[in-house]
Amino acid sequence: MSSLRALGLRFTGLFYKERKDGELAAELESHLQMHIADNVRAGMSPAEARRDALIKLGGLDQTKERYRARRGIPFLESLLQDIRFGLRMLRKSPGFTAVVVLTLALGIGATTAIFTVVNTVLIRPLPFKQPSSLVMLWENFPYCTKCPFSAPDFTFLQRSQNSFESMGIFQNRELDVSDNGRPERVMAARVSASIFPILGIEPLFGRTFTSEEDTSGNNVVLLSYRLWQRRYAMDKGIIGRSIEIDRQPYIVVGVMPLGFTFPIAPVVTGLFSSSHPAELWIPMAFTRTELEGWGSMYNSDVIARLEPRTTIAQADSEAELLSNGLSALYPPAVLKALDVARIKLAVYPYQREVAGPVREPLLVLMAAVGLVLLISCTNVATLLLSRAAARQRELAVRSALGATRARVVRQLLTEGLLLAAVGGTIGLMLARWGMRSLLSLAPPDIPLPQQVSIDVAVVAFVGGISILTALLFGLAPALQLSGLALQQVVEDGARSVTSGRAKQRLRGVLVTIEFAMALVLLVGAGLLIRSFAKLLQANLGFRPDHVLTLSLPLPYNAYPKAALIRSLYQQLLEQIAALPGVAAVGFSNDLPLENRDSEGFQIERSDSGTINRSLDATWVLGNYFEATGISLLQGRWFTAEDRADSQSVAIISQTLAQRFWPNEDAVGKRIRWGTSPKLPWRTVVGVVNDVNDRASGRARVYMPYLQVPDGAVQENVVGEWRSMNLAVRTRTDPETLGPAVVRKIHSLDPDLAVAHIRTMTQVLSSSVAAPRFNTVLVGIFGGVALFLAVIGVYGVLSYMVTEQTHEIGIRIALGAEHAEILGLVLRQGAKLAGAGVAIGLFAALGLTRLLRGLLYGVSVTDPLTFAGVAVLLMSVAMLACYIPARRAARVDPMVALRYE
Amino acid sequence: MDPKPDVWQGTLALMVLKTLEAMGPLHGYGIARRIEQTSGDVLSVNYGTLYPALLKLEQEGYITSEWGVSDNNRKAKFYKLTRAGRKHLEKETQEWEQATEIVARFLAPEKSS
Repeated sequence: MSSLRALGLRFTGLFYKERKDGELAAELESHLQMHIADNVRAGMSPAEARRDALIKLGGLDQTKERYRARRGIPFLESLLQDIRFGLRMLRKSPGFTAVVVLTLALGIGATTAIFTVVNTVLIRPLPFKQPSSLVMLWENFPYCTKCPFSAPDFTFLQRSQNSFESMGIFQNRELDVSDNGRPERVMAARVSASIFPILGIEPLFGRTFTSEEDTSGNNVVLLSYRLWQRRYAMDKGIIGRSIEIDRQPYIVVGVMPLGFTFPIAPVVTGLFSSSHPAELWIPMAFTRTELEGWGSMYNSDVIARLEPRTTIAQADSEAELLSNGLSALYPPAVLKALDVARIKLAVYPYQREVAGPVREPLLVLMAAVGLVLLISCTNVATLLLSRAAARQRELAVRSALGATRARVVRQLLTEGLLLAAVGGTIGLMLARWGMRSLLSLAPPDIPLPQQVSIDVAVVAFVGGISILTALLFGLAPALQLSGLALQQVVEDGARSVTSGRAKQRLRGVLVTIEFAMALVLLVGAGLLIRSFAKLLQANLGFRPDHVLTLSLPLPYNAYPKAALIRSLYQQLLEQIAALPGVAAVGFSNDLPLENRDSEGFQIERSDSGTINRSLDATWVLGNYFEATGISLLQGRWFTAEDRADSQSVAIISQTLAQRFWPNEDAVGKRIRWGTSPKLPWRTVVGVVNDVNDRASGRARVYMPYLQVPDGAVQENVVGEWRSMNLAVRTRTDPETLGPAVVRKIHSLDPDLAVAHIRTMTQVLSSSVAAPRFNTVLVGIFGGVALFLAVIGVYGVLSYMVTEQTHEIGIRIALGAEHAEILGLVLRQGAKLAGAGVAIGLFAALGLTRLLRGLLYGVSVTDPLTFAGVAVLLMSVAMLACYIPARRAARVDPMVALRYE
Repeated sequence: MDPKPDVWQGTLALMVLKTLEAMGPLHGYGIARRIEQTSGDVLSVNYGTLYPALLKLEQEGYITSEWGVSDNNRKAKFYKLTRAGRKHLEKETQEWEQATEIVARFLAPEKSS
């Protein structure tokens, strides 16, 4: 306690030094006077008395010094002194300080921003109870890996398994909420009652579903906090009340807490990517159709919690065993129709499933960021080395005056840490800002973006980088310098022509490394930019301009029968076509750029054999092809005559035609939707060009909506044929037509919720959001790297020129031309940059392979990019060298010779 | 040159506290003389070491100081024992006695054998 108090007082002893010194002087003076007086009384002469008193005291100044040491904290005092001196040194060379701080801030800022995002997506555990024991299960077929589950398969698995504490199943939905006369389409999920206990999430109030409610016919619903806030004004009385969902009354049983996100962004790029989290939860309550639907409707995700002490590997091997049981349970005819011998079940950690699809780009970004950080560290090291060379004499003088080696090291370390602290602080601010911009650029399918915030781990990470960097660059020059013998410096000073060859070489090597790293980054950025450009220029196979799209799902309760559904779509088709400015109108279940699950088909080969394949299926109504701008290559379009009672027909994409009937006319060949022999063969009547949208396969089959069986149209489980998308080709700006179209829809049914009203151009732009995001980020890093490398080579050459002023002066005095001097300096720069570029090219050849998955239409060793980047880097380097070179060429020999 | 600082500081502090207890408020010079008289030549060469020790005791709250006037009408800084100082002195004295006793017991047989 008392020693703590003493420490506090000693700390305050750092301040008000002058007053306290005065007081001490007065006290010692009075001591001396009393002693002298005593001595005089004892018979000494005044001079003798004073001498004796001083000797007895042990010296006045020594006493004061000892006293001061006790008063303050000596270590802290010399630290403060170091800091003051360091700040003065940094202020004295503002250019150097600014460059180093900026370099550090860029390196640290970018690193932190990316680390935060990566931390959130890849590292931070999911916001659920014990997320490490959560797993996802998938079904694997030969033509479909990681397929979702069907109801009978899930039921079997749940009944037979031993590895899991409990299992839950869920499915994304969009539902109409239409009470209060405000129809609204919201993201929703069907979830089994077990989901909430598995996740360990309690409702804010009310309750979650009971297992009794998890059976068909129980209309209960859970609201999200946001929906409760938005639609029901946070009224707690909502519990037990009935709200209208898809025109059916549902009883609200609970409200979930704010921030509860489930399902976590099922990662789908395209029109229905659920960038918005679910706002309603209804019980899974499988229908009879679903439970008996062996071999169909694989559309639900399964999540489970492992039994304690069960590993994923154990669970996976049990799933492997259960696969046999499941396959045995399948009706043989269905297995045959599916063309599989065995269905394989697999278990994966949930965390990885959520992070999965963005993992690769994020890792590439991490690598890019690591490079930027390395470059910035190298840069700072180079700059400090150069400066250390310039400060040799100062430090030599200091050590000659008695500064110990440790003292000099500490002084230099303090300066380094000061730079790191300032750079780190600015970097952190940059990170906050960068993170926000990063997220605003982020494609909607990055999971959990609304929860990203800088946290303690990130701050620790940045602190670590800052301190490590400071040590890295602070120590190297410090040790090198403090080891210097005084004579060496004096001798060097006398003939500074030869000053520190070894140090110059080290700096040169660092700059070379920096250039190599910058080149790798720039090549990566270049490849991504080229790929992105290709992506934008790609022949999409349809014309996205002047197209308005929207989704028009019809709720079962208002539209139970196929006739009603068909009639509404048909009426809309006619009425919208009649609107002014409309060129063509069509419906389909599946717009371009939209990722939909593919379906099983049978294809009849010319040799009469059949093949089963999973292909993308699109059902169209009206002038869909004309509206989207897909063009016919062969055969004919569908007409109003292609009806249920006429011949079954199909139009196929070019790729499909070439794959199965190469060098043949595909028109007239036969294909079957589904694999059941009960379904009709469809005759191919036309071939259209491929849609190159990356979201789906190019092998696509189009079929007339009018030929969908009534039973399929009205069924409400998959609901695919009662939620068609409208595509309108306009003669004017498609956006202005939106309100008129919605009015037409509401004139037919005022309660109908219209969702996803967007122009095709908007859809296209959001479909390239992810590649654009990667490109912009890596582009930024490339730019930063270029900037840093240029600063590096500029700094080194500038110092070289300063050091060689004397030598250059002699050369000029001996008759060297300006051009020769210019060439001399430029050659030095070119050597460093050139070596770096050469090494970087080799490194890039090896490293760009990592980008393979992110590139579209560009090879990972694209020569144009490699050459372009090399030329760019070299020319910028030469530009940076030109400034010090010109300064060298203008050296006045008289001044230079007198300089020493 | 200096004696072991720990032992020295410890004993010096104890001497200072004991002096202040015996003599009442006293200035640095007076404390130095008193200690010198009592202890012989321990402090004879170096009165100066007293001042950091006084400062330390003051920082620890065992003594307080105040400017006053000496017997000879001279301005001087007077040091005074605080309550905490009294308690500390008591404790230290006890510990010191224990320690010396133990050390004495160690030393005694050595001499006799």
